[in-house]
Amino acid sequence: MPDVIIDGQEVSVPRGTTVIQAAEQLGIFIPRYCYHPGLSTAGNCRICLVEVEKNPKLQVACNLPVTDGMVVHTRGEAAEDGRRAVLEFLLANHPLDCPVCDQSGECDLQNFYMKFGLYDPRFHEHKVKKKKAVQLGPHVMLDQERCILCSRCVRFTEEITETGELGIFNRGDRAELAIYPGGVLDNPYSTNVVDICPVGALTERESRFKVRVWYLSSAPTVCNGCSRGCNMDMHFVLDRPHLNDGRRVVRVKPRHNPDVNQWWLCDAGRYGLGWIDEGRLGEVRERGATSTWDAALAAIARAMQESDRSRVGVIASAQLTCEELFLIREIFDGARVSAAVPEEPGACDDFLVESDKNPNTQGARLLGMAGPVIGDTTGGLGGSADVPDGQAIAQAARSGELDVLWVFGHDLVELFGAESAHEIAQNVGLLVFSGTNENATVELAQWVVPTAAYLEKDGTFVNCEGRVQRIGRVFAPPAGVREDWSVLLELAERSGRPRDSHEPRTIFAALAAAEAAFAGLTYESIGTLGAPVAGSAARVMSKAEPTP
Amino acid sequence: MINLVHLEPRAREIIALYEYPKAAMLPLLWLVQENEGYVSCKAEAWVARMLGVALARVREVVSFYNMFHTQPVGRRELRVCTSLPCVLRGSGELMRRIQRELKIAPGETTPGGEVTLTEVECLCACEMAPMAQLDERFVGPVQLDAASEGATVATLVQDARTAPGRLEATPDPEPYIYTEGPVLSSRLMDADGTWLEAYGDYAGARKALTSMKPGEVITEVSRANLRGLGGAGFPAGRKWSFIPKAVDKPVYLVVNADEGEPGTFKDRYIMERDPHMLLEGMLIAAYAIGSHKAYVYIRGEYFLSAQRLQRAIDEACAAGWLGKDIQGTGFDLEVVIHRGAGAYICGEETALLTSLEGGKGFPRLKPPFPAISGLFACPTIVNNVETLSCVPFILRNGAEHFAAIGTESQGGTRLFCVSGHVNRPGVYEVPVSVTLHELIGDFTGGVREGRALKAVIPGGISAKVLTADEIDVVMDFDSLRAAGSMAGSGGVIVMDEMTCMVEALESAARFFADESCGQCSPCREGTGWVHRIVRRITEGRGKPRDLDDLLAIAGDMEGKTICVFADAAAWPVQSYITKFRTEFEDFVAAGRRTPSAEVAQCRT
Repeated sequence: MPDVIIDGQEVSVPRGTTVIQAAEQLGIFIPRYCYHPGLSTAGNCRICLVEVEKNPKLQVACNLPVTDGMVVHTRGEAAEDGRRAVLEFLLANHPLDCPVCDQSGECDLQNFYMKFGLYDPRFHEHKVKKKKAVQLGPHVMLDQERCILCSRCVRFTEEITETGELGIFNRGDRAELAIYPGGVLDNPYSTNVVDICPVGALTERESRFKVRVWYLSSAPTVCNGCSRGCNMDMHFVLDRPHLNDGRRVVRVKPRHNPDVNQWWLCDAGRYGLGWIDEGRLGEVRERGATSTWDAALAAIARAMQESDRSRVGVIASAQLTCEELFLIREIFDGARVSAAVPEEPGACDDFLVESDKNPNTQGARLLGMAGPVIGDTTGGLGGSADVPDGQAIAQAARSGELDVLWVFGHDLVELFGAESAHEIAQNVGLLVFSGTNENATVELAQWVVPTAAYLEKDGTFVNCEGRVQRIGRVFAPPAGVREDWSVLLELAERSGRPRDSHEPRTIFAALAAAEAAFAGLTYESIGTLGAPVAGSAARVMSKAEPTP
Repeated sequence: MINLVHLEPRAREIIALYEYPKAAMLPLLWLVQENEGYVSCKAEAWVARMLGVALARVREVVSFYNMFHTQPVGRRELRVCTSLPCVLRGSGELMRRIQRELKIAPGETTPGGEVTLTEVECLCACEMAPMAQLDERFVGPVQLDAASEGATVATLVQDARTAPGRLEATPDPEPYIYTEGPVLSSRLMDADGTWLEAYGDYAGARKALTSMKPGEVITEVSRANLRGLGGAGFPAGRKWSFIPKAVDKPVYLVVNADEGEPGTFKDRYIMERDPHMLLEGMLIAAYAIGSHKAYVYIRGEYFLSAQRLQRAIDEACAAGWLGKDIQGTGFDLEVVIHRGAGAYICGEETALLTSLEGGKGFPRLKPPFPAISGLFACPTIVNNVETLSCVPFILRNGAEHFAAIGTESQGGTRLFCVSGHVNRPGVYEVPVSVTLHELIGDFTGGVREGRALKAVIPGGISAKVLTADEIDVVMDFDSLRAAGSMAGSGGVIVMDEMTCMVEALESAARFFADESCGQCSPCREGTGWVHRIVRRITEGRGKPRDLDDLLAIAGDMEGKTICVFADAAAWPVQSYITKFRTEFEDFVAAGRRTPSAEVAQCRT
């Protein structure tokens, strides 16, 4: 463990740690363009120059392994002048078209100029002309003039996706980032190149020219697109709806979690959120007619009290949070309850994308609401084999064995076919549908209650590797729409089984007290990066030390 | 439609020479270009498929190297050098006349498809400046006076229009060798080359392989004070000693024959005229470092060097000096020639390795150093041609003998390449204890036409310029460093009193802007910026503050990049402007050459 002194502060770091990493541990930020912790070291941008005592030349912090007794200065005349020089070179041929650049406001050329530059520009020559507004693929636009040739995107396509679409062609100041003529950047992770581009060279087609970044709000959440549960930041706009055609979600950025998704996000997850601002259910309906929450919950509570428990069924969903599944399990104790429905596995790959397109199947299993999966590799976290599945409950409903059936989010028509769905609707005394969006089941249900999208509520998912992650609450549900947990709590109250908890945090506390797998976990201990449930094989890469 | 199936057997043979298929990138692109005349999109796709790499990787390489054509070209290519040593001897006028005769501009092809005219940076044939290269053949000096003997613009243009393979009117260049020995130039006189029969026994190698341990060879070379003659001057024996003693990976010897420093042309003479001297040196070096595979990276423009070295390799293999169980000693060495394709930066040792591995010629971050992780991430020693060619002499005659020839810190001689305004440009083998004054005055016949000396670049275009009163300096590495310049590649470019230093700097600045690999921002942006300012000054649009800006930009480029290219680009700017400030100021003020420099130097 060599000791290094950076700007007067001493730190011990494992062998092989670079100066830029050691400085980070001390809270000292060394500027960087080409350096990215998830990619190989290129060392070409030269902005991370630091002064190292006993070394006549400035060194790049990104490629300099710490040695014992090394003394580094990131401030001081030599380092500051070096960075100023590098910035001036990087900006020499830069078009300075910030007023029409989407990156403006989150651009590291702007940021570092203000922090480390502030020189009087001396470049008065004609700038090198290159191509602007080049469409690289379905999601990514390129402006070659803005590109500083840091090669992060090239390395991403070489090292992470191994698709190799991008290249830097020609040499000297004629060098330009490009795709092979006729090629398309459409690999399943293509938009990550926009995230890692430190300047405005690569921008996202979907959100281009819509909202200035300083009008965006941001909140952390996880992706619900599959059971991986990639961490992400939701960028949204509430107070200027005209900027984004009334939609709240503007764009999604991956949030670094070394144990789940590292720095990355798949395009399917990133662009899979259109439903949140489109086709939403906004009112309670009784047989298609507008009604009220009060009427709905009164009717449902009554039906539940009047029915024998064995004649009540719930087809819950692995899209619900652990807190909601736990409430369902407790409130519908004795009823036929399952969160598992027959679903075809979706696309998957050997990186982030999982074939289970539900974010909380593992949570449902841990709560005994879904059965094990064949070939489960998560180390014995699979649920009990005697859990009924949704199909059995649907069959019971179809054959008239149920008085009440509550369907959470699923479309019975899609799952079981139109004929079965209609029979279920006819043969069940009371069919309740709760969910976010319009579907064919909405037409069949007696009661339809509009509930919050996952972004609109707090709670937790357990990902495929057994990591509990908070989904946060990005923004409030639309008017008239309620979170499933709040609906369930009220139902418990009305049906004479009141709960002690009144919000997700306390529901989770009750869950943790009841379920061994969650024992000891709290919202605080889960934090922003999640925590493995007991017995899980979830990776804990963040605590791993780099091997020498 | 291009069908390259017929090339696949040959392609597979080439790929088999390398440890990794991607390393065959340049040879496969050469194969395509030799067969199709240019590298089409289909050819890029074929190469990508043969090597198992993404198309973008192939395009990166094709677009990086100057010698690959991406469009059909004429049946011949005429490359005219316009770098500084040729500029000093009239290449500007040569280019203008050729354009007038062929009625095309650089980059264009004659309407009949006879010839494509290309303007190139230094071809490292400065001894025959002004010169050109017609396909594979060097032609020069091209006389601008039509009544002259030898190569003239008229005969050159006539040859350019002649179908390839026909008899050409321009004669082969004269030999520019003026010394015979003691170390390097003993066998350089024969223009047809010295072949194994004349070269004789690899006596130095025999001694090393049969009677010395590898460590003893390294000690011997260290005691000889042999310095790296490619330009950096690093002690050769010490470099060899950096190879880890116990490694479970192969060790590679890589010969840097990417001679590219403007003003330098020595390695070409060795490869064309005494290739066995190089091979023997390689064999000794390979034995010393425990390498059984050596690559010789020869710049793409040196066609004849590659052909002759290959002939020598074939001879050596047949005679048991290369291959398996060399001379019954049990030592193996395979030598593979790898041709570059037009990129000065590949002379930088780590760029050379990246290029050899099939990439763009990007220098590498250090650490790790090549001796630890070089070619294919294995321990690698990169030595220059001339350095290795000294080694047989050391083994044959002893380290003391070699060391005694030079100075205290540098043994032996160098092949100094003298170009520019001297009476007899050429290669001179002289002990490194010689002064620059003696080299110019006693060996080259002095400055031409009895003119006064103005300035000398002592070690290739990257070296800081010395003024006429700074030439009493010994030509070894340490003395020239102490004098504020560098011995570099041994390319001595002499400028007489008629030289316009502003125009000289413009040529140097253009060279560096053309040749920057573009990896590090200070170099990529700085070289282009400097050249644009200097060009503007030469066009008469200079401003008083330009000179201080140039010095500041050059200062900002120094010491901030992966390799020393940016420093090398900065040094001419700093030294020319600082040492000839008044001339630069006068030029800026007048918008043209001042009367003192206004002579026909670039037009003779």
